[in-house]
Amino acid sequence: MTTLQTADAGTTTGPIGEAVAAGRLPGRVWVYSNYHCNLACTYCLTESSPDVDRRSVSGAQMRRIAVEAAELGFTALGVTGGEPILAPDIVGTVADMADVLPTVVLSNATLFTDVQIRRLAPWAERDVSLQVSLDSPDPDVNDAARGEDNFAKVVDAIPRLVDAGIHVRIATTSTSMDPADSERLCALHRSLGVSDDDHIVRPVIRRGRGVEVDGGVDAGQRDLPAELTVTADGAFWSPFGPTVRDGILDTDLLITRTTSPLRTPAEALLGLVNGRPAGEDAVLNIR
Amino acid sequence: MTDRSNARVGLLSADQAPLLMRDVYAGGDPGPIAAALATVPELAAVTLPFIGGVLGPSALDVRTKELVILRTSVVASCRYCVDAHTVVALDVGLTADEVHRLRGRGGDGSTPFDARDVALLAWVDEVAGGRGEVPDAIFDAFAVHFVDHEIVELTLLASTTLLLNRFCTALRLPTSTDTADRLRQEGMS
Repeated sequence: MTTLQTADAGTTTGPIGEAVAAGRLPGRVWVYSNYHCNLACTYCLTESSPDVDRRSVSGAQMRRIAVEAAELGFTALGVTGGEPILAPDIVGTVADMADVLPTVVLSNATLFTDVQIRRLAPWAERDVSLQVSLDSPDPDVNDAARGEDNFAKVVDAIPRLVDAGIHVRIATTSTSMDPADSERLCALHRSLGVSDDDHIVRPVIRRGRGVEVDGGVDAGQRDLPAELTVTADGAFWSPFGPTVRDGILDTDLLITRTTSPLRTPAEALLGLVNGRPAGEDAVLNIR
Repeated sequence: MTDRSNARVGLLSADQAPLLMRDVYAGGDPGPIAAALATVPELAAVTLPFIGGVLGPSALDVRTKELVILRTSVVASCRYCVDAHTVVALDVGLTADEVHRLRGRGGDGSTPFDARDVALLAWVDEVAGGRGEVPDAIFDAFAVHFVDHEIVELTLLASTTLLLNRFCTALRLPTSTDTADRLRQEGMS
């Protein structure tokens, strides 16, 4: 890992830092490390699969984004995809990012051999959270959306990750879940070593492949927190923004194509937030 | 409606309008130039006001401005801009004969333009189509009819139109169906 100049997060007094501190602007900056994935989930926002263009943001770019985000006054980072674990040098990159700001990494957790988990040791030593997708306590229901043997791989990986000192969160994406199933899922994640505080449930968003899913919810600018999201294609309003449908990137939540300096999209985002009428902040609070 | 299939880049529809461009789309189809620029919203956000400021209402009368825009577009062989501004020129009061002459068609040796227009068009032809220095004789004849701030604005107008000419031509922006229908009605297809 390289040594980064660590910004003094939390002391920034610029307009973005002030907006974050006042709660008018979410503190997390997301990065799409890549768009390809070993899975092809039925509700995937980005139509990710093993065959799509990678459209990667390099490790150097991700490190720069971390430093600039902190300098601007953001307080946290997120890495998503695609499957970030497929990105080259993701372990070192995320460790360096976490030296700057707390970082959450989203993963399907299907690629973690014991050797690979040992390589995650730098994450255990830093403020890194690994957010793993698990959609149902029932393997057949989970695997229908996420692929064959997904459930088995995930429930196998999570305890090994926890034992290795990795902070694991679980994200459940579901159109509906009855209370009994919900309780069984919570019992399952507790048994895997993941607390209730580290379990989030969110709806299927009708974007990307999700438009084909019955029971999904529509989500536009008004519905989504204004979380600055950087991709190889530009900067977006939310990590739910850079979605892909029929192979074409959606631009309705695009902010700017310019991502460096990060100040350019960050200031444009703040301008959009400041220009939003009172009461038009996110109503679904989907995260 | 506009057939967007021949354009060399995607022209964003209203449902794909980026956040910084939503005001531009609020009044309906913003046209191919804005729909192309919308793919880079932060540049569109500065380019569209610039274009609007230069080509829109200003201290110069609209007839004079359309003389410059249409003639520049003809010199630059911009099909999109010639089509669009043929319609605009007719709408602001240029005669069909004047428009035909500006488009390089017709004529019996006489000219419908007065000395001021002729000097202006000679200036525009050099600004848009020339290389290197604009001859003093062309400028001197032009400057008889215009004061400095008008000279600056007319030259900026020709230069900005030239920018748009190359942008629209290079990207093969499509003439709108409404414009094409109007040109047919006017016998100027």
